Order: sequence, then C-alpha cells, then structure tokens
Amino acid sequence: MLLTRRNLMQTALTLGAMHAFPGLTWAQARPLVFATFTGSWEEAHKAVLVPAFRKAADNANIVLDPMLSVDQIAKVNAAKSNPPIDVMLHDPGPALQAIAQDLVEPYPVEKSAYYKDLIPAAQVPMGPSPFFQVVGITYNPETVKTPPTSWADLWKPEFKGRVGITNLNSTLGTGFMVELAKMHGGSEANIDPAFKAIEALRPSLAAVAANPGQLATLFQQGQIDISPGNFNAIQILKARGVPVEFVIPKEGAIAFKTTIHIVKNSPNKELAFKLIEAALSPEVQATLMEEPYLIVPTNTKVAIKGELAKTLAKDHAEIAKKFVFQDWAKINEQRAAWIERFNREIRV
Amino acid sequence: MAATLRDVTTYDLKLAAPLAAGFVLFFVTPLVILLALSFQTDQQGGHYGLTQYVNFLGDSFSLGVLGSTLWLGVKVTVLTLLLGYPVAWLHQRSPGWARGLIMLLVLLPLLTSVVVRTFAWVVILGRQGIVNATLAWLGLIDTPLKLLYTDGGVVVALAQVQMPLMVLPIITALSRIDPNLADASSVLGAGHWRTFRKVILPLSLPGIVAGCLLTYAAAITAFITQSLIGGGQMLFMPMYIYQQASTLQNWPFAAAISIVFLVSVLVVVSIFNALGRLSRGYANA
Repeated sequence: MLLTRRNLMQTALTLGAMHAFPGLTWAQARPLVFATFTGSWEEAHKAVLVPAFRKAADNANIVLDPMLSVDQIAKVNAAKSNPPIDVMLHDPGPALQAIAQDLVEPYPVEKSAYYKDLIPAAQVPMGPSPFFQVVGITYNPETVKTPPTSWADLWKPEFKGRVGITNLNSTLGTGFMVELAKMHGGSEANIDPAFKAIEALRPSLAAVAANPGQLATLFQQGQIDISPGNFNAIQILKARGVPVEFVIPKEGAIAFKTTIHIVKNSPNKELAFKLIEAALSPEVQATLMEEPYLIVPTNTKVAIKGELAKTLAKDHAEIAKKFVFQDWAKINEQRAAWIERFNREIRV
Repeated sequence: MAATLRDVTTYDLKLAAPLAAGFVLFFVTPLVILLALSFQTDQQGGHYGLTQYVNFLGDSFSLGVLGSTLWLGVKVTVLTLLLGYPVAWLHQRSPGWARGLIMLLVLLPLLTSVVVRTFAWVVILGRQGIVNATLAWLGLIDTPLKLLYTDGGVVVALAQVQMPLMVLPIITALSRIDPNLADASSVLGAGHWRTFRKVILPLSLPGIVAGCLLTYAAAITAFITQSLIGGGQMLFMPMYIYQQASTLQNWPFAAAISIVFLVSVLVVVSIFNALGRLSRGYANA
C-alpha cells in the first residue's frame, strides 16, 4: 500500500469509526443492561451489587443505566422485541404497569436459591423484591423539640407554614395520600378523606415538592421542618450534616416494595437471573444494610443490625408488624384521577 | 461582464439535501408520529378521533394551565426586556475594556448549567436565603417572606436564566446603528431622551423582537426552572405534559396537549414576527 494522503485518511477514518462504534469490529452480544434508579441506589448498586454479580457470573459485562421506573417502561415499550434493557427496577405502581403491558418475564422461582428465604411480602412471582423503601416522618430536630409520633402531628398548629409534602407524581406522594385516607376512614378505593385532610393542612404547607428529591433541598434550605420522608433519603442528608431525623409514626411506616424484573425478550436472560440472584443473596443484602446504604433487607437469613435495628425494626417479625404495604393494584385503578384532582385542588 | 456573474440565489439545491434529510428524519417524522398519536382515542390505541383535543379544550382547568404558561412567558419577557435593554445600552456606550467585562458577565450564565443557575435561585429566595436574611438584618421584616414557590419567584429566576437571550440580539442591533445618527439628532436640537425615543429605539426594534422571541420561547418551555422554583403546586405546560406522558403513561393525551402547546406557541411567534416586520418598516421609514 502506498503511503499517500488518501490512504492515510482512509486508515485514520476507519480506525476512528471502529472506536466510535465498537459494535462494528467486535460482533459480540451486548453487555447486561441493568436499569437502576438514580442517586443513592445507583451508588449502592455500583459498589455492592455489581461486584457480587461479576463474581457470580464469571466477570460478565454489565452496564448500569440509571433512570426512573416510568422511563424504563417507556424505553422498553418503544422496542419490545429487542429491548435495550435486561433488568428493570420498579416501585409498586410502575411494576404493575410493566406486568400489565407484558414487558416482564415471570421469575424462574424453582431455579432460585434465595426466593423461598424472602419474607412473604417480597415473594412476587413476576419479579421478587430485593429491597424496601420505608416512609415515615422526617423532621428537623433543631426546630422540632418534641419528636413527632403520628402522621396527625403534621396538622399541629405550631407547624403552620413549616410542613412539606410531595405531589402525586411520585410513589411517596401517592402512598402518603393513601395512608391519610386510611387514617380518616378511607382506603385505596376511597381517597376522599385524604383530600379533605390535605385541604385542612393547606395553611400549614410551606411547599409542595415536585418530587421527593426536592424535599431534601427544602430541608437543607430550612424551608420546611417536617414532612413525610423516605428513610434512605434522610440518611444521605444526615451524612451531609443537615439536621434531620426520621421516626416511624405509630400508625406504622408506609413501605414500598422495590421489585426487580427480567425484561421480556431480553437476549441476556441467564445473566439477568444471575444479577437478580445476587440482589436477593444474604451476602449482598447484609452489606447493603450497613452504613452508608442502610437498605432494608428482605432476605430472612439476614439478621437486622446497626442503625436499621435502632430506627426501624429489630427483626423481620417486627417489620411485618410495623410496615404497612398498600394495595397498588387498587391504587393504579384511580391514580390518574387522583393526580388530576390534586392538580386542580392543591394549587396556590 | 455582469451576465457571467453567477446568481448567488440559484445554488444547487442538492447541497442542502443532507440537512434536509436530517430534518425529515429527526424532526418532521417524530412530529408526524406525535400528531398521529394525539388522535388516538384511548391509551391502548386502535381508535382514532378528536377525543383528546375535546378533553383538553373543553376543560377549563387545562385551558387555565395553558393560559398561565403563556402569561408567564409574557411576564418573563417584559421583565427581561426592561432589565436587559439597559445592559445592552451600557455595553454599547462603554469603553473597550468595560465592553469585554459586560459581555463576559452576560455570557457567563450561558456557560453554567441551567440546573446550577436554578439552584442558586433556590438559595437566594429561600426562607434563610440572601434576600430574606438581608431584609431581616435591615429590620424590615420579622418573619421571612415567602419568595420560593411563588409566581414572582419563577418570573425573576426565569428572567435571569434567559437574560443572555435578550441582551445579545439587542447588542447586535445597537451596534449596527450609525453613531452619527445620534449626533445628527442632537445637532438638530433633540435631547438625549428624544434621540433615544425617536432614533435609537426604533432602529433597535429588530433586536428587541428577536430577543423577545427567544426569551419567550425559552421561558415557557423551561421545565427545570419552572418546577424547581415553582414547586409541585404550580402547574405549567411542560410539567403537565411530563406528568401525563411519564407518570400516567397516557401518551395520546400528552401528545394532544403537546400539539396544542406547539400551536399556541406558533401563534405567539407569528404575532412577534408580524411585529418584527412592522418594526422593519418603521425603522426604514
């Protein structure tokens, strides 16, 4: 080959193209794509779950693609026959949507080594639950001298203009509304009492956050002193030195199952199974239970210790007693109407 | 000789083909799909009709969201113009070194992420923010004012975030004005104010129109600033679309309100454009 300018150009361009599109040169199967949540979840999964998976799966390639549940559904829905994601992570509401839209595979329960060790609430055949999210009352201990004990404390006159909530776009906001309804004689099917309660709370509201992440900012800014909040989100704030505490109200903590699913038509089903097994394993769950992650384990073989035992529950029996799981199939039936109603009624 | 000169307006259209193809593929096609989606009558698809549009246009709440979004744009644009014009004017009247400094200050926000800029406003407007702290220190207020999560807060934050879009076109317009015109005006006996009103302002109108157009479009579609400063209580069109599309997975309705929003914005843009044409006539008269 002559060393002409044209030849040189061609070689350079080809090499460049190979670099830009590695698929061109190495025609191999794509790595396992795991759609996790953003923020602390991604950090925890990168640090603990991914290494455990690599060890179990012979160093197989894995890519984390952090995004919201609803965006995962949209992405898989857009390419059902060749999904760009292999493993999805869902809050209870979106999980049911994903199942209803036929986007996920049943979990191969009989092959699983850990499924039978999960607490009953976590045994979901369409995708088991390796983690919980726990929602209780969060407050600023510097301004709130007596720790709150009940959801009803949010209505106390001394918190006028100091209370924060989130709107119903989030699982947190919707779950809180359902809990309010239950407190006032309603249920997943009858949300009216919750709207009445929120109406009464309006003079106390300092802010309606657009998402749970915004609640954290509100605490940092001193904009709110008390709000329903996610246990894990509070730990992150605390670690940053923000004065904030978490308590389980006497009505019980609202718990959301976070389920993990194999995507239908995934080309990496075997690896997806291995990743989910790793997430269910006592080793991974025990590590995720420790600082700084403090994620509630669902595997009964893991003994609850440390900060979790102190703030949430000593063992799985207490979890069953103190945690309230809501009926998201019922909630989903009317969620759109509730969001619409919240939009209309809770405006400034 | 003149006959051999090539007419610059008749270049081969083939040169534009790659760009045109790109536009068709990445802009026109999605828009057509969006339009088709908006005519689906239910979430599962299959049936087509005007249901989604009837739902939106027959609902005072939805129309209210559209109205408040378009009105928000007007408020932001007016504020940006009132604050931005003097900055552009100052830039035009300053010596060289100061011009560079002003330009840097105008461009600096563009180099920062809009998320960071918006969070800065959260810090400024918060209960313990700079504004409230200063007012309390001066003894003007006892309890902090509510600035965050208010209409005013959103307008101010958006005005700052979009400021470069207003200032840059006006600077361009002002720099095109022959400085001799102002001298001529004062020689003929006009004061500073009259010179500004009769000469400078009309000649800078094209820049103002362009600036307003950019600011308006950016303000009404600013999802991040609207939701971070406005909070979950204030609903504007971008959040409404997001809520329907993402949280509720109601794509047909989301598509329909996107189309309604798009059309409303196009109407506003054409009004601005008509004003722009008028202003050109005015400036040349």
